[in-house]
Amino acid sequence: MDIAIKDLSHRFGEKVIFQHYNLTLQRGGLYGLTAPSGRGKTTLLRILLGLLTPDAGTVTQGVRYSAVFQTDRLLPGRSAVDQLLFVRGNRKNREEAARFLAGLLPENSLNQSVGELSGGMQRRVAIARALWADSDCVLMDEPFTGLDEATLHQTVDFILANRQGRTLLLSTHQKELLTDYPFAWLTL
Amino acid sequence: MKPAKSPRRFLRGLLVTLFWLGVWQAVSMLVAKPVIFASPIDTLRALWAQVPTAAYWSAVLGSLGRIALGFFLALILGLLVGIAAFRFSLLRTLLSPLLTMMKTVPVASFIILILVWFGSSSLAVIVALLIVFPQIYFAALSGLESTNPELLELSRVFRVPAGRTAWQVYRPALWPYLMGACASALGMSWKAGIAAEVIGTPLHSIGEQLYLSKVYMATAELFAWTLTVILLSTVFEKAVLRLLRRVGK
Repeated sequence: MDIAIKDLSHRFGEKVIFQHYNLTLQRGGLYGLTAPSGRGKTTLLRILLGLLTPDAGTVTQGVRYSAVFQTDRLLPGRSAVDQLLFVRGNRKNREEAARFLAGLLPENSLNQSVGELSGGMQRRVAIARALWADSDCVLMDEPFTGLDEATLHQTVDFILANRQGRTLLLSTHQKELLTDYPFAWLTL
Repeated sequence: MKPAKSPRRFLRGLLVTLFWLGVWQAVSMLVAKPVIFASPIDTLRALWAQVPTAAYWSAVLGSLGRIALGFFLALILGLLVGIAAFRFSLLRTLLSPLLTMMKTVPVASFIILILVWFGSSSLAVIVALLIVFPQIYFAALSGLESTNPELLELSRVFRVPAGRTAWQVYRPALWPYLMGACASALGMSWKAGIAAEVIGTPLHSIGEQLYLSKVYMATAELFAWTLTVILLSTVFEKAVLRLLRRVGK
């Protein structure tokens, strides 16, 4: 289904973040969201995820989301594969999850505790987790933080290959590195 | 895996033990009245005489059973009530005065009341339960409150089943608090449980034996039973903590 935000208004203290804002994400669309810091990219994603109630306006209900948050939010002490199995599947899916994750991480890191992985690798685990989960729409908040340019391109290719027709909206301040990809760009 | 003790650490531990045994022996020689202060040798001799008897094992197993039952009941109840109080703030408010009372009322008052209400046979069970329960309850509350809210949001967004969230998000947050509470509660359950038995003198109990040692001025036997309690308490504590560590992995 399409996801519509209608007449959204929201303040943070005295600061107006959204004023009668409207947005429609078409089913299966690929969107990039860019805006200067503090303009409400994260707020918009949190409203879509249902983690923040706006002061006014409506958002399409009943959408199953998966997400990459600004912080990685990985289960401490658990392996990279465990992070995927936490959101979908069980022990029986371990090999399947490992194969999936191997598209983005070296094989010898898959069963390591995430605390032993580099920041960039942890970020990629969080990205793989969002794509592995059952969802209708994937939201990613600055997913490429901490990734070098080559890894960023490898990661975008992985995202595009595994989004399986789902709507995808990612916020980034690295738009210039993504011009070769078919994102429809939104600004705030 | 836990590293094996180095020979140097072992030697140091041995020397410390020998030092305190030496102090004990020296004090007993200074006092020079075995009825007032038994020596290590007298104590070991008394223990050696007791160990092969059925009365010794019946007292050991009786006390161990009662205190372990009280401890595990408190562990289960403390966890369940702590989880419920975390979930329902009304229950937490309702229980607050009761728990404050349980924490502050002297153990001796509890012992006498329980003796009046329930008699001596279940005294150690109830006393151990009353001593351990508040510690587990407060540890459960603090542990659950320390759960990472970002991981809870993650569970919510990804629609992770409640049982999986409980096991993989709440449990790791709760466990360090629970382990800390158990480490102190285990020792206290033995101290309070044995004290209750000394006052209530139920049959087949270490408390009864300690009481009889006092009545007959059998100081070596008193020391032997005390040594038994220390050994039992240490082994029980290590076994329970190891079990909890395993579950918490």
